[in-house]
Amino acid sequence: MSVLVENVSKSFGSMLAVEDVSFSIADNSFVSIVGPSGCGKSTLLRMAAGLVRPSRGRVVTRGKAVDRPVRGVGMVFQTPVLLPWRTTLGNILFVAEMGGEKVARHRDRARELMTLAGLAGFENAYPHELSGGMQQRASICRAMLLKPPLILMDEPFGALDVITREKMGFALQTLWDESRNTVLFVTHSVTEAVLLSDTVIVMTPRPGRIRDIIAIDLPRPRRTETLRDPRFLELSARVREGIESQWAE
Amino acid sequence: MNQRLLDMGLGLLKPTLGFVLLILFWQIGAPIARIPAYVLPLPSDIAARFVETFDVQVQGLLMTGFTTLAGLAIALVFGVLLALLVIYIPFIRSIIMPLLAAFNSIPKIAIAPLFVIWFGLGYESKVLLAFLLALFPVFVNSLTGLGEIDADLIDLSTLAGGSQWRIFLKVRLMNAVPYITDALKVAFPLALVGSIVGEFIGGNDGIGHLILSGQFDLDTPLVFASLLSITIFTTLGIGSIALFERMALKWRPSQRKR
Repeated sequence: MSVLVENVSKSFGSMLAVEDVSFSIADNSFVSIVGPSGCGKSTLLRMAAGLVRPSRGRVVTRGKAVDRPVRGVGMVFQTPVLLPWRTTLGNILFVAEMGGEKVARHRDRARELMTLAGLAGFENAYPHELSGGMQQRASICRAMLLKPPLILMDEPFGALDVITREKMGFALQTLWDESRNTVLFVTHSVTEAVLLSDTVIVMTPRPGRIRDIIAIDLPRPRRTETLRDPRFLELSARVREGIESQWAE
Repeated sequence: MNQRLLDMGLGLLKPTLGFVLLILFWQIGAPIARIPAYVLPLPSDIAARFVETFDVQVQGLLMTGFTTLAGLAIALVFGVLLALLVIYIPFIRSIIMPLLAAFNSIPKIAIAPLFVIWFGLGYESKVLLAFLLALFPVFVNSLTGLGEIDADLIDLSTLAGGSQWRIFLKVRLMNAVPYITDALKVAFPLALVGSIVGEFIGGNDGIGHLILSGQFDLDTPLVFASLLSITIFTTLGIGSIALFERMALKWRPSQRKR
């Protein structure tokens, strides 16, 4: 079990962000949390990394109750947060440097990841010379460099345009397929969640609660045709139902 | 290759052209307008006086240069340290910031005489004045460069196992470098103002002193020749900061060749 969330609640001041949430994530699975803004999904992600402490309940990540930032967890944010003074390769190797590792030992893997992500030839380009999609792919490579047992992604494609976004989904699948790290992925795109995940957790807002947990049994690897697969549409409809159910309330 | 040399030559020629025209206009126009030499000496007279007094100019510049650069160096160290203190110890921020704001509202030049009383007519009062004038831009820019870091970047670095020290060295400090070089471009001329005002107020050394003695003897060419010395010094100073930027900050979009 990579992550275990038990009866977790979190309030900021008098605002209850997350209420009594429990779920677990199996090793090497890709789990998405879907929900509208304000459902506390980013907060849950930060709690799994130990960046935020729950007000009640507990989070166990990789067998240890979390009470401080969990070292070695990979992280991808909505913006690429690359260092502008480093080349793309230098940015990907940044996590190795921060971890106090010998950078040279990770150079080959960094180049492999870049090739997988379609960034070959841009090793020495600075971030401002890359497009938004390329920057975000570089930041995913950075998160995957050290093969972390757990990678957290907080709406990584949220700032990209729709067309780039779809392509990025497949790019991420290719990268993930190579190492199969456990991924907890936060998004508000139903399509993205169903396409990429083994499990989708649907959340409702204010306060954030779990509405539904759906196993996605679509065969891998998933392709563009998957998007038109009846089973895909069925599963997407169920996720949407979970999200829309609260509108009536 | 020849084309590149030609381009480079043209690139140098254009800025020089303005100076050449100004000097020609001055050299030819001043006698026609009957401006007396003690008011506006001719460029040729100034050049001659500069050559005559070259040794004294160099000597004065060494002194002024020393106090300016010493003041600037101390301001650099202090400004960065002060910014770090304010960033890492929020408690200090609320104490120091109002003090600094109040202090900055005093025109530093106005307290120069006080420094002469406290530290005498030697170089100390000049260094102190140069330091005080240069401190603020360095401090303010360091505060931005070291402090305004994306919180996500700090989180990411922490999760990757980065210690506070490593994050400081590889993220904060690197982020601050362009802010600090920008600050130095402003602080350098300010430090020079501090040094020269210090020399005006007391002492018998430096370019400021040379200008004063030119004024005393109504030796206007000497005053202008001294101004020329300062200009050369400032150009060299700012030029070396710009050169450093061009070499070390290649990643900056603004440093790209167009």
